Amino acid sequence: MTPGDATTVEAGVRGDAAEARVPGEARSVVEVAEAPEARSVAEAPEAAAARTTAVTRRGAVGRARTRAPATTAGWTHRHLLDVDGLSAADIDLVMRTADEMKEILGRPIPKVPTLRGTQVTILFYEASTRTRVSFEVAAKNLSADVVNIAASSSSVSKGESLVDTIRTIEALGADMIVMRHSRSGAPYLAAQVFSGHVLNGGDGWHAHPTQALLDLFTLRERLPGGQVAGRKVVILGDILHSRVARSNIWTLTTMGADVWVCGPSTLLRGFDRWAAAAPDGRRLTVTTDLRAALRGAHAVMALRLQQERMASGLLPSLREYSLRYGLTAETLRWARADALVMHPGPMNEGVEIGPEIADFERSVVTEQVANGVAVRMALLYLLAGSRTIEEERNRG
Amino acid sequence: MGETPRIGERVELLELSDVWLIDPAGGREGRGSLRVEDGFVTTVEWVDDVPAGWTAPDPMTTDVGQSRPSVLVAPAFIDLHVHLREPGREDAETVATGLAAAAHGGFGTVCAMANTTPAIDTAGLVEEELAAARGSGSPVRLLPYGTVTAGRRGDTLSHMGEMADAGAVGFSDDGSPVGDASLFRNALTYAGALGRMLVEHAEEPALTKGAEANEGLVSTVLGLKGWPAAAEESAVARDLALLAEVVASYPASAAPRLHLTHLSTAGSVELVRRAKAAGLPVTCDVTPHHLAFHEGWVAGDRRFAWEAPVTPWSRGDADAPPYDQSTRVNPPLRTPADALSLWGGLGDGTVDAIATDHAPHTQVDKLVEFGDAAPGISGIETAFSLVFAGVAAGLLPLQAAVRALTAGPARVLGATATVALGRRHPRGPLTPGLVPGATASLVVIDLDDTWQVTGDTLRSKGKNSPVLGRRLPGRVLATVVDGRFAYVDAGMAAELVTALAAVRAG
Repeated sequence: MTPGDATTVEAGVRGDAAEARVPGEARSVVEVAEAPEARSVAEAPEAAAARTTAVTRRGAVGRARTRAPATTAGWTHRHLLDVDGLSAADIDLVMRTADEMKEILGRPIPKVPTLRGTQVTILFYEASTRTRVSFEVAAKNLSADVVNIAASSSSVSKGESLVDTIRTIEALGADMIVMRHSRSGAPYLAAQVFSGHVLNGGDGWHAHPTQALLDLFTLRERLPGGQVAGRKVVILGDILHSRVARSNIWTLTTMGADVWVCGPSTLLRGFDRWAAAAPDGRRLTVTTDLRAALRGAHAVMALRLQQERMASGLLPSLREYSLRYGLTAETLRWARADALVMHPGPMNEGVEIGPEIADFERSVVTEQVANGVAVRMALLYLLAGSRTIEEERNRG
Repeated sequence: MGETPRIGERVELLELSDVWLIDPAGGREGRGSLRVEDGFVTTVEWVDDVPAGWTAPDPMTTDVGQSRPSVLVAPAFIDLHVHLREPGREDAETVATGLAAAAHGGFGTVCAMANTTPAIDTAGLVEEELAAARGSGSPVRLLPYGTVTAGRRGDTLSHMGEMADAGAVGFSDDGSPVGDASLFRNALTYAGALGRMLVEHAEEPALTKGAEANEGLVSTVLGLKGWPAAAEESAVARDLALLAEVVASYPASAAPRLHLTHLSTAGSVELVRRAKAAGLPVTCDVTPHHLAFHEGWVAGDRRFAWEAPVTPWSRGDADAPPYDQSTRVNPPLRTPADALSLWGGLGDGTVDAIATDHAPHTQVDKLVEFGDAAPGISGIETAFSLVFAGVAAGLLPLQAAVRALTAGPARVLGATATVALGRRHPRGPLTPGLVPGATASLVVIDLDDTWQVTGDTLRSKGKNSPVLGRRLPGRVLATVVDGRFAYVDAGMAAELVTALAAVRAG
């Protein structure tokens, strides 16, 4: 497909939806409302009928379907607050949608009009560069209007409550809120008062859904056969304080991976209980033994170790940590020869990950960042469509 | 045509025939009738007196060979632990609304914690608290605690002697422990000489800094900072060691008395069990929420502690979203196993009382991030219903549950209640019994009826309850305190009016 074709295709797919819009009123969620069945890959009979109409109106659609993002049909989540409620089918849908988004990213102009008119507010209560920028790029690639709110520069620092902040953002026209907060569970509170969609960009120690999904996407791309089920994936380091670890435990065990979490005993507190409660079919192992964890591993994900862990008496020193749990060329030898090295960033080179490993040929750290945009585009797209699905249902 | 009885009005005539009577002080339970005239119990007739120690095989339906009457009549309940928020946080609760809530829950006596703003640490503040109770118009008795330390700051002793003279029933820094072990020892000794107990909130603060939920499976999965069981148990162990030392080293006139409130773990109950076996002067209470709920409620589970919990891996089965701020409480909701051991402690007498730790909060203080939400549950109105749900599930005989709400706490208060009440309440000491000739203080509950917990049905200003919206068993029909109506259910009121009219006409 030539770049020119791609543009035409996009116009074709979105075009009929655009026609349906009431000028100046409907937001792009309405656009999606009209579109999903037309874009459907696996279709119900009535959806097929709808597509026929679309085809009649738009000659180019037939071909478009093969290249357009997968349907949002089957996606029933209004918010993405955690990954614990996502089924394997949900996750598959995210992955397939992200595949399509990645194709869009490969185009000379990686921009589609899907979320035109949708206001995405990025509300970050914690400092972050990569996640915030990744969301911003993802939203802009989908033509959303992006509003950035950093907690330090808003009335949040004047003591405004989260609930009031969310209500204010809603009054300013936000359709979706991407939120990062230092308190576990804060996005649930936002979702309780916001009438649009809330996308958790990381809350406390609890969850970082988009990170886990982009990690999974990266593993699917890079593991032999694209297969995650049955592969041994090690999460290494400060598990206790890590939302990345928690979310990865959910997504990876849901997809059938053999997940090992490894780190100093003080940073594994409570995880034994979690592993012990795992039902058949979920494989989660907790160990302080790095060698046992790495043995036969297909992928190793090192987590950032923060200085404050020393201050709170959980570890004697960074040096001791890196000697015992640092991922280096030497310790990586215990893993499979083709083991992938991952890191959610930002990295402390020389602490949890040796500099020789960080830009190692099997390191997929920069791919994780690039894939992050595709996965976040997929999630923004799916969530925007989910409201429509509900509305359709209510109407029916 | 009579009028609906008003709150505070003397009970002219209350005829309760064919009801289920429980007199925990006398250890009696059975079918019978009771009559109140002009505020006094005039007759108590036991038809089928159940033998002492008898346990109903099925508490819902059975007595000796026949079905239990629907209506329970027992002495009005006594709550050793409530927060009435006045002075300082009248937006969350006042003495008047708190006492109205207590009466709705079947309570005729409440012991008010001293962590108000300012904290109750002088005689003048104790007197103001008592005056507020008198001014409320409610006959519910308020027994105030004074703080252990000045301003509840934990560094020097409060004016204990003056407060005791003014009517303080005991001393507590509840909300926080007395962290300084040396000061705790001195307080125990000093209060003992005043004939007052020390009520301790057992918590080792170094282990609970920033804690959000019970340290365990749920806190791990939800990424909440853990409040370990050992933080309570190590504090209980410290308190008991110091109590033993004070008992051994001081003259009998100092007679220290330690009451551990809102114990929440299996280990704490076991420590108290051993201390009691060793003869230490210690008593303890547990809350209805620690008996009925468990840590899974933080994750959205809404099954009672005695029902099979939702595992974190089957979160799809949860009934509510996680991080509901109404489930944030200190000490935190523990494991189902902990809850069951609290029931065990009630069963074998290790646990003396059920106290609500009624902690009303405004929506402003609760509708925030989970870890920032004010800890506490508005629980005095749902207390009996939650306990009765456990009784119905077979965890404790009904009589033992009623004892833990009446004779148990009365024994904990002991003579101090008489002293404190004698000064303020001309009708004298707590009488948790159904005795002819006594002033009527009793509760009438329809065990077979249910009620819905809503913002409207709760009399407390605090609507912070994890069972808001839910129907609970056991509906309080009336609460009578010192011969006066403290609460009357609308349906009951209509019946009373009819009955009274009939008597007058006849």
